[in-house]
Amino acid sequence: MSRATRRRIGPTAGGALLLVLTGLLVLAVLLSLAVGSRQIAPSVVVDALIHGGVHGGGSDDAQVVRALRVPRTLIGVMVGVALAVAGTVMQGITRNPIAEPGILGVSQGASVGVVCAIAFLGVHSLSGYVWFAFAGAGIAAVAVYVIASGGRGGATPVKLALAGTAMNALLASVVSGIVTTDAEALDEFRFWHVGSISGRSAEIAGQTWPFLLAGLLLVAATARGLDALALGEDVAAGLGHNVPLLRILGGLGATVLTGVAVAAAGPIAFTGLAVPHIARALVGTDHRWVLPAAALLGPVMLLVADVLGRVVFPPSEVPVAVMTALLGVPFLIALVRRKAVVAA
Amino acid sequence: MPKSPTRPTGFAVLRAGRGSFLLHRRATLVATLLGASLAVTAVVYLCVGESFVGPGEVVRVLAGQPSPDEFVVGTLRMPRLVVGLLAGAAFGVAGSFIQTVARNPLASPDVIGVTHGAGAATVAAMTFGVAAHSTLPYVSILGGLAAAALVYVFAWRKGLHAARFVLIGIGISVALGSLTQLLLTKGDYLVAQQAKVWLTGSLNGRGYDHAAPLASILLVLTPALFWAARAQRTVSFDDDTATALGVRLGRVRLCLTVLGVVLASVATAAAGPVDFVALLAPQIARRLTRTAQIPLVGSALTGALIVTVADLLARKLFSPIELPVGVFTAAVGAPYLMWLIVRTRSRSGGTA
Repeated sequence: MSRATRRRIGPTAGGALLLVLTGLLVLAVLLSLAVGSRQIAPSVVVDALIHGGVHGGGSDDAQVVRALRVPRTLIGVMVGVALAVAGTVMQGITRNPIAEPGILGVSQGASVGVVCAIAFLGVHSLSGYVWFAFAGAGIAAVAVYVIASGGRGGATPVKLALAGTAMNALLASVVSGIVTTDAEALDEFRFWHVGSISGRSAEIAGQTWPFLLAGLLLVAATARGLDALALGEDVAAGLGHNVPLLRILGGLGATVLTGVAVAAAGPIAFTGLAVPHIARALVGTDHRWVLPAAALLGPVMLLVADVLGRVVFPPSEVPVAVMTALLGVPFLIALVRRKAVVAA
Repeated sequence: MPKSPTRPTGFAVLRAGRGSFLLHRRATLVATLLGASLAVTAVVYLCVGESFVGPGEVVRVLAGQPSPDEFVVGTLRMPRLVVGLLAGAAFGVAGSFIQTVARNPLASPDVIGVTHGAGAATVAAMTFGVAAHSTLPYVSILGGLAAAALVYVFAWRKGLHAARFVLIGIGISVALGSLTQLLLTKGDYLVAQQAKVWLTGSLNGRGYDHAAPLASILLVLTPALFWAARAQRTVSFDDDTATALGVRLGRVRLCLTVLGVVLASVATAAAGPVDFVALLAPQIARRLTRTAQIPLVGSALTGALIVTVADLLARKLFSPIELPVGVFTAAVGAPYLMWLIVRTRSRSGGTA
């Protein structure tokens, strides 16, 4: 029964596992609603959610939960799903274990798109600038991949990571150039340097989900193809999959997901790296199981990181992107130390 | 003088009494030209600013003669220029050591986490209020060395694989960057503001109290640099040749690396993490001189030139707003890194 011999998971075990993960997600959501600079008892949280806080408990607490923490948690869940699924698809279509929106500079590309839209075109609503985020993410993704595939040896993990680092540095300097020169809008921009899910309104959450759904549908369409692609491009083509179409669809899905996550919360790295690997360790390599598992684990990681960020240095809050990076880097190191990554 | 039969092509022999010295002709020419353009840049740097000062006046101030522009040039712009020159030179030399040891243009102190380590340590010291300006450079050195050691330890797995080293370096850089952010959140508002300015790699408001520790450490390290210039040549042979020639490869490499890390950390302490100078300077210098190894003097001059020009542009381009130098060096350095990635003939990542 060990993972090494059994790469696929049966429907019963898989279903049970997904159920457990759902339980974890519910727990993380409750934690995110209850913990913060004002501690609120879980019973009050549940009460506030169901009855609007009319029974027992302070009405202040209910107000905090409904007006501040619910939108924040909702955005956390959506961003977590988007980043984790985007990471899974990127790792699938590039056949590269360290592909991830943050490391590859795709998030930073989306961020530049948004900052340009706000600074030069005066777009201020999420449904307006999310398109610029898509454009930025798409351009950055293609550019990084093209750069990394240049030269001899193709897109090895180390070249992808270096190209991503270079792209990140370049785009970060663009963002900081725009932000420094456009000082009056600095407050609106502060958020694009380091991702954070605090202070986002319920309105933003409402504008995020249609794009999230579109991205998830695109990705779901590629799930079977990704399994075949894991065996190699030739095998996938031999099995009747249209490899270029598969890559385009998957890339489009990943771009949409990254773009919407960045538009909602700024660039957050490492969620998309760690989660797919954990998901694969749990359910095997079948993407029809990996994708839902990653979609459940992503928000768990993001919410836990956010809650940790709220409690480490009270009363100030650490942005969630900082916490995910601190949690994710040990993971990257462990991954790199395994032989498979550098043997390429 | 008869032509010496042992003289290699492209070199000139310099004789002084009984001593003689081989001089690479092109490298010497390049160094002279770099020095000249650096001098011109420095004068322009001192002329340009909120108010324009004529070059004649600048030269007068530099020569120590009384001048009405003494305050603007001597007190406001001069210290900043000195910090820029010294930090740039230190970054250039640091980059050339580390690239020589790694035999890889991509391995630069920015990529492998040294500058971020120095940055995190400095911000930590500022946040917890344990260090004055005079001790910050030493804290910074410790941070840089610790980061380098951390990358080395994590990358070591039955030998040091270059690809693994770079990947882990990138990871550690990100982690240390996040740690810095974490400390900024914890710190007092004023400290955070101060640290943030420092972190973007800005020369704004740097004075002689920043330049003094940098200069003194560089002075102390000068004998080591002379040794390193020789050692660098021996290390750039392949492993077998160097060992056969009697070079203790492991020890020399370690010393060069430590020297590079110390230099990069000290420069970071003074000027903040100015990205990509350590990557760019040695590569540009080497292409200019066309020597087999990375030329030290050339790298130092190129590094200083890059930082001063970048700071000049950062001051003037969007005036009255000043951009951090780091923004400019990254805007130039990052595309160059991409170009290197495309160009590099990576053979199975072995020497990547």
